[in-house]
Amino acid sequence: MIQFYLAYQPIIDFFLLAVGFGYSQQIAFRAGVFSIATAGFAAIGSYCVAILATRTEVPIFMTVILATLLAAAVGGLLALPLARLRGAFQAIATLAFVQIILSLLLYGEGFTGGALGIVGIPREVNTWILLLVVAVTMYVLWNIGRSGMGRVFNALRQEESVASSLGVNIGKYHIIAFILSGAIGGLFGGLQSLYTFQIEPHNYGFAFIVNILTVVILGGRTTLLGPIMGALIMALLPEIARPLAENRQAVNGVILILVITFLPNGVGDEIVFWFRRRKQARQQRKRASEKEARDAVTSS
Amino acid sequence: MPSLHLENVSKHFGGLKAVDEVTMEVRPGEITGLIGPNGAGKSTVVNMISGVLALTEGDITVDGVSLATDRADVVARKGVARTFQNIRLLPEATVLENVLIGFHRREEASILSQILGLPAAHRETRRFEEKTWDLLRRFRMEEYADYEAGNLAYGHQRRVEMMRAIAADPDIVLLDEPVAGMNDVESEELATIFKELAASGMALLLIEHNVGFVTRLCKQVYVLDSGRMIAAGSPETVIRDPQVIAAYIGTSGH
Repeated sequence: MIQFYLAYQPIIDFFLLAVGFGYSQQIAFRAGVFSIATAGFAAIGSYCVAILATRTEVPIFMTVILATLLAAAVGGLLALPLARLRGAFQAIATLAFVQIILSLLLYGEGFTGGALGIVGIPREVNTWILLLVVAVTMYVLWNIGRSGMGRVFNALRQEESVASSLGVNIGKYHIIAFILSGAIGGLFGGLQSLYTFQIEPHNYGFAFIVNILTVVILGGRTTLLGPIMGALIMALLPEIARPLAENRQAVNGVILILVITFLPNGVGDEIVFWFRRRKQARQQRKRASEKEARDAVTSS
Repeated sequence: MPSLHLENVSKHFGGLKAVDEVTMEVRPGEITGLIGPNGAGKSTVVNMISGVLALTEGDITVDGVSLATDRADVVARKGVARTFQNIRLLPEATVLENVLIGFHRREEASILSQILGLPAAHRETRRFEEKTWDLLRRFRMEEYADYEAGNLAYGHQRRVEMMRAIAADPDIVLLDEPVAGMNDVESEELATIFKELAASGMALLLIEHNVGFVTRLCKQVYVLDSGRMIAAGSPETVIRDPQVIAAYIGTSGH
């Protein structure tokens, strides 16, 4: 076990961070918001922690809390101008947001270190901390899924007009979704910067966006298992396909196309749906036989 | 119980007067009918009441409180529920989940208690689930509770929509062609439920194509044609009105 851990520790950590960013991406999708702002939130979180940890005496724990709150606040504010946008337009507007954040990081050289970024960030985060934070995030998302908020998110994703006809304030719930996405993105961005020693704007560019989208699309957009499966595939793929290392991008692309074509809900979601359908079928049979029993009693 | 008033309500799309100076009242404890040929503006009236479309002129009030400038969700929270002419369900969700969302405006658990999974949030969900089961029994849909709504037969989908609309005990329910595409047995079943709802004090506005169905259920019937109200009154008088006959059958000698 220890041997395994030592050999694969970087992959496990990479996996846990990807799961975290995946949840930030997923909570937006779940609420029917086509946001790809997670990269921006992650950048805000990681720079907030990096700047505070290298230049101030703020305790490390507090820097992560502040990063989470800052990214959540930015998420909430971002939702306001985007309130009327849907689908592809939301995606483009949130992409623009990421570009703005990255430009600010690049050009605010005095404050952010520009293209070179920030070095010498204390390495305070290990696998166990990541594991703990992923678990807490999952617990929160699990609660949301079982609450009225989760029901509203599901309704907004499937049929917005129904939700509003039942009294759902769409704007308010989109803001909540952005705040949650921002908080989770900022939190894991902060942890990442306490893990990697050095950060630069480039870390949160196009490759980051594509990676996180891939995690959620491969894994699934609605279940807790989704980002776990997505991140697992992303983490293991380079290991399994080592002989194809030179063609890694191509292998990623092929797998993405295969999953979208044959498992459009994503691997994780499909697994959960399969169990759910089995349970539903069992319940259906049970209720049908109960009904038969009742009918038999009343007709005799 | 409150009643719904429309005062000289108009909706103009450019030069087209889809609805022109319509005045009507939907009283509690009654089923009020709104009939008219295709394109008469019936659905436009429903969409204006429910806040989907903005009025060009006029006012809509519930117990004296204006809804005219409210967004759809605000109208719903003021106790006006609706169904849709083309059924709109959450297709991936089960019947149970579809009805459960109907309780949204009764939710009181704070966002924090939902995020932290506090007992208050769970208790509320359980309470709504129990009420959902009551509704399922009333509509004889218990055995379909775990079906995905998108896989149900048409008549059953209509019932799910109906249950969702009345889940949170609205004062006023707008039914946009609720029995369209149903067979006689199914529409009779729904008619019984409509009568029960009215008897419990709700104000129902029934938009229909089928004149016979409306005349049997409604005390008061309004007839729209080309956006204008051409007749109003008891079903007996309305169906004998020459203008109504002309609108439905067409007049000779044009």
